[in-house]
Amino acid sequence: MSDGKKIGDKELAAISVSVIIFGGAIFHWVAEMISTVELLELAYGTVKLFNNPLVF
Amino acid sequence: MFNTILSEYKATLSVFFVLLVIVVLELLQVRAAIYPSLLPAFEWLKNSTPLGYIGTTYGSIYATVQAMHLLTMGTLGGLVLATDLRLLGVMFRTTPSEVISNGTHKAFKVTLIAAVLTGIFCAAGVADKVYYMPVFWVKMLALAAGAAFVFLIKQPLLSSKPHSEINPWIIRGMAVTSILVWFTVAASGRWIGFS
Repeated sequence: MSDGKKIGDKELAAISVSVIIFGGAIFHWVAEMISTVELLELAYGTVKLFNNPLVF
Repeated sequence: MFNTILSEYKATLSVFFVLLVIVVLELLQVRAAIYPSLLPAFEWLKNSTPLGYIGTTYGSIYATVQAMHLLTMGTLGGLVLATDLRLLGVMFRTTPSEVISNGTHKAFKVTLIAAVLTGIFCAAGVADKVYYMPVFWVKMLALAAGAAFVFLIKQPLLSSKPHSEINPWIIRGMAVTSILVWFTVAASGRWIGFS
C-alpha cells in the first residue's frame, strides 16, 4: 500500500462517513461515561476513580 | 466545472446530501414527532402477532431463538473482527486482505439477515418494554449505520480495486470505524439484556 495515491470519489466518501460515524460513536460512549460517573457521584458522593490521596 | 464535480464525486456528494437531510430532519424535530406514533406498532407486535404470542407464552422457544440471536451476533462480530484486524495488519498477514474481505462479506450478508430475523422475534416478546429504552434505539441506529457503512461504503471501495491502490490511512480509518460501530451494536444489545 502506498501513501501517495490520489484520493478518488469512493475514498473521499469512505473517509467522510468513517469520520462522521466514528465521531458519533465516540461522542455517545463519552456521554454515557459522564452520565455513569454523575450517577455514581449522586449515589456515593465523590467518586475517586484512581484512589487519589488528594481527594478526601 | 459544476457538472465535472457532480459527475466525479457522486458518492461524496450523496453522503453530504444524506447528512444534510438528517440535520434538517433533526432541526425540524421530525424524529421527536414520529416517536409517539410508533408505540401502537410496538404494542401490536407484542399483543396481536404470532411472534409476540409465542415470545410471551413459550419460554423454551424464546430462549432458543434468543440463543440463535446471540450466536448470529457473535458470528457477525467474529467476521467483522477478522476482516478489520486483517485490514489493520494485526492478524492473517500471510493471506491477502482482498481474499479475507471478499470471503467474509458473503458470510456477513447471510449472518446479518439471520441476526435481524431472530432479533425481530426477540424484540416482539418485549416490544412494549424496549420501546421505552433509549439503548434499544441506540442499537437500532448503530445497526442501521453499520449495515449502511458496510454495504454502501466499505465493501464497494474494497472490492473496486486492489487494496494496495487504496490509501492505507483510509483503509485503517474504515477498519477502526467498523470495529467501533459493531462494538456499539453488541454492547447496546447486552445493555438491553441488562435493563
